[in-house]
Amino acid sequence: MTHAHASEARRRSALLRLSTGIAAARDEREVCQSVVDGLHDRDLGYDFVGVFLLDLKTGDRVMQASVGWDGTHDGYRIRAGEGLSERPLKDKEVHYTPRVKAEAGHVLAAANGSELDLPLIVDDEVIGVIVVEGAEEDAFHREDLEILTAAARQASLAIGRVRLIEQERRRAEEQTALMDTMRDLSGELKLEKLLEALLQRAVRLLGVTGGELAIFDEEREELVIVAGHEMGANAVGTRMAIGEGAMGHVARTKEPLVIPDYQEWAGRSEQYTQDTVQSVVAAPLMIGSRLVGVIAAVHADPGHAFDGEDLRLLDLFAPQAAVAIENAHLFTAEHRRALEQQALLDTLADMAGELELSVVLQDLLVRAADLLDVTGGELAIHNQETGELRIAASHQMGSDAVGTTMARGEGAMGRVAETMESLVIPNYLEWVGRAETYTDGSVQTVMAAPLMIGSRLVGVLALVHSEPDRAFGAEDLGLLKLFATQAAIAVENARLFTEGRHRQQYFEDLVKNNPVAIVTMDLDFDVTACNPAFEALFGWKEEEVLGKNLDRLVNTPESLDEASAYTEETLRGTVIRGIGKRARRDNTLVDVEFAGVPVTVDGEQVGIMGLYHDITELLRAQEEAQAANQAKSSFLANMSHELRTPLNAILGYSEMLIEEAEDHGDEHYIRDLEKIVSSGRHLLALINDVLDLSKVEAGKTEVYLERFAVQEVVDAVSTTIRPLVDAQGNTLVIECPESPGVMHSDLTKVRQMLLNLLSNAGKFTDHGTITLTVSPTHEEDGEWITFHVRDTGIGMTPDQLEKIFEAFAQAEASTTRRFGGTGLGLAITRRFSQMLGGDVTAASVPGEGSTFSLRLPVESS
Amino acid sequence: MNRILLVEDDEMNRDMLSRRLIKRGYDVTIAVDGQEGIEQARTGSFDIILMDMSLPVVDGWTATRTLKDDQKTSGIPVIALTAHAMQGDQEKALAAGCDDFDTKPVDLKRLLNKIESLTGS
Repeated sequence: MTHAHASEARRRSALLRLSTGIAAARDEREVCQSVVDGLHDRDLGYDFVGVFLLDLKTGDRVMQASVGWDGTHDGYRIRAGEGLSERPLKDKEVHYTPRVKAEAGHVLAAANGSELDLPLIVDDEVIGVIVVEGAEEDAFHREDLEILTAAARQASLAIGRVRLIEQERRRAEEQTALMDTMRDLSGELKLEKLLEALLQRAVRLLGVTGGELAIFDEEREELVIVAGHEMGANAVGTRMAIGEGAMGHVARTKEPLVIPDYQEWAGRSEQYTQDTVQSVVAAPLMIGSRLVGVIAAVHADPGHAFDGEDLRLLDLFAPQAAVAIENAHLFTAEHRRALEQQALLDTLADMAGELELSVVLQDLLVRAADLLDVTGGELAIHNQETGELRIAASHQMGSDAVGTTMARGEGAMGRVAETMESLVIPNYLEWVGRAETYTDGSVQTVMAAPLMIGSRLVGVLALVHSEPDRAFGAEDLGLLKLFATQAAIAVENARLFTEGRHRQQYFEDLVKNNPVAIVTMDLDFDVTACNPAFEALFGWKEEEVLGKNLDRLVNTPESLDEASAYTEETLRGTVIRGIGKRARRDNTLVDVEFAGVPVTVDGEQVGIMGLYHDITELLRAQEEAQAANQAKSSFLANMSHELRTPLNAILGYSEMLIEEAEDHGDEHYIRDLEKIVSSGRHLLALINDVLDLSKVEAGKTEVYLERFAVQEVVDAVSTTIRPLVDAQGNTLVIECPESPGVMHSDLTKVRQMLLNLLSNAGKFTDHGTITLTVSPTHEEDGEWITFHVRDTGIGMTPDQLEKIFEAFAQAEASTTRRFGGTGLGLAITRRFSQMLGGDVTAASVPGEGSTFSLRLPVESS
Repeated sequence: MNRILLVEDDEMNRDMLSRRLIKRGYDVTIAVDGQEGIEQARTGSFDIILMDMSLPVVDGWTATRTLKDDQKTSGIPVIALTAHAMQGDQEKALAAGCDDFDTKPVDLKRLLNKIESLTGS
């Protein structure tokens, strides 16, 4: 490896380092420094290098970095029109000066040999120059030109890149500032703080020394400084007339203003004696065409004169500040409203969640006291029954009065309860209605409002303040009423809740302790709950039946269809009832009376309730009763039959004896024997009637339907009864149409009924008329025949009428003895007539007679 | 002279009715149950049979049906004597072939009317 080779390798390495350094630079200054450092590398050996960037405003070349340039510093300026390094700015070309001393216009040099000036070009614009000097004349060769031109090109690219990045970053910062401002506006910061923050951000973004923000006071037509940042003396609160100073000027013109040299500015404010302020930029804050304030930024560095760019940035903030101020005006008014809203929301949230009334009320009271900024307060609930107020919440009242009761009219709260009107007492200690119990001397002013639900008083809310200078105004009262409304709702809600809970408890207990098995189901008929009686009746535990289909649970295969039909009906909203057998868990059957009730909430069916009542005992009792009744009837039937056999003998032999006596002429026996026969016949009639009736009741009476002529039965009955009627001195009249037709009925029973009615009429009529009227009628429900039996006898009172169809119920107990008969005839007649599909009724006027009407269908079935 | 077969298990009823009928000139033969009634009717010669329905051994309905089924005896009129209001008994009696019925205790006049109308005497 030759020396030349070795040196070439080192040079390349140095150039690579130069490139890397430039590429790694993060801002203009670093780019410039890396150019200088790279070229100064000992393997490249450029000992005099300076990098200048062009100041666009002045046209000056400002030194950014250098080496070997004694007597200068970063920021050193070469004015426009001066020096050799200006040439590339004009033609964008590299200029080589082999002998510097020979050149005119040379101003300053690090070395006085030769000089190379290379332009830095970004986007086709010259933005700076690299100056490289040599100690000797004509120190640079072609090789040097190549290296330095490449370095300049790289530096140009790097500066273009970092400028772009810087531009983006700045834009991002503006965005962030805007976002922050917007967020502040929607937040809850006080105006002063908001404007301060806004100003601070503007100052930071503009990179200025400080700033001020003033609000335009419309009433006094003055500016008031509300925010200052880094302005030395705190100027907040300072007022300025329109036209006074920079801000006053802007306020008047409503135009932005740039004052590059404030100290020299003619309109300079007298109040502004700070000589640190070198440059000022100010902009009006406008809402539409209306001025709301002025924002200003100042700079203490005389080298930083404000320009159009600064104004543009300031203008970014102006609308935000204007909106902030405008919002703040509204905000002050809205602030209370917002707090009220918040308090209301808090209370509502409480009501939705916490239902512990005392906690809700205490919370509400504290919030009311806080919002109205008073010492304390109390909240009392009105007892509807006693009319008393009971303190339910107390806040900072010295002693805790919770639980204390007050009569209506007692003290401030009692007064409010009485009048149901809110009340403000400016000086409580001197108030005539002051409660005796209130000895707390610290209470100076009182304000109280009733808690109303509609026109009903539910409580009273009172707030007190311990300083006499706090006079409660209309606004305070408005707020108090707002809280009173909320408290009333809370109290009412709690009452309803408690009431609801009590009611729920009541019904739960009712279901739980009910002897009837109760089960509730959803619309799929799946069990959702059941009571202990259900568990006891069916042998299932509640947890075993939950979610199961009730029909399948308690039915046998035989009863399932029927039960499903009932279920369908219940689902259609019908209440069903029935009696049947249901299966227990162990498959034994139980007789139940059941009901299916649709459960409807707000008009919508949500489920079904099933009720089961064990009627095993009931059925057994019923069966026993029926059996007993049957036994009674059987006994009576048998007994009457057995009684009749000896009676037959008594009657038969008595009649034989009468015949014998007649044959032998033993007249004196005959009368006694006839008494035996007569009594025997009565006894026989009684026995026969009892037998008839007991057979009806035992269900042993059968109906034999046959077709017969009505005329025939009338004739037969009249033939039979006429001797009896005649014997009683009565007249029998038959009123029957020409041909009354044919009946399909039970002939024997019809005959027996008519005989009963006629003999009954005869018994209670003395020397009168008994009329049997036959009247066939055609009615809607078919053909009927009615037999009226009318007498002119003693008649009956309405009370007697009621009972005559009951067994053994002749109008008077004595009538049986007096008039004969068994007292069973009418009862039997009624039973028979009903068996044939008709009925018998009676009408009567005491002393004038009675009419019995036997109404029978022509066609019995 | 009419010959009457009285089939009756109750002794007093039998004695009373037979004596009253004999007194009125009838020739009365007695049977105490249905079986005996059938045998008497077959062996003897009667103008009419008075048949109680509730009889031991063979009841009155069966006995009547048997007699009415037998050509030799089917021509003899049978009056059923039934308990009062035992309507079913009466219907059953007519169904069994009885020519008429009357209820016990017997109203002698009414029974004699029925006997006379059935025997044509």
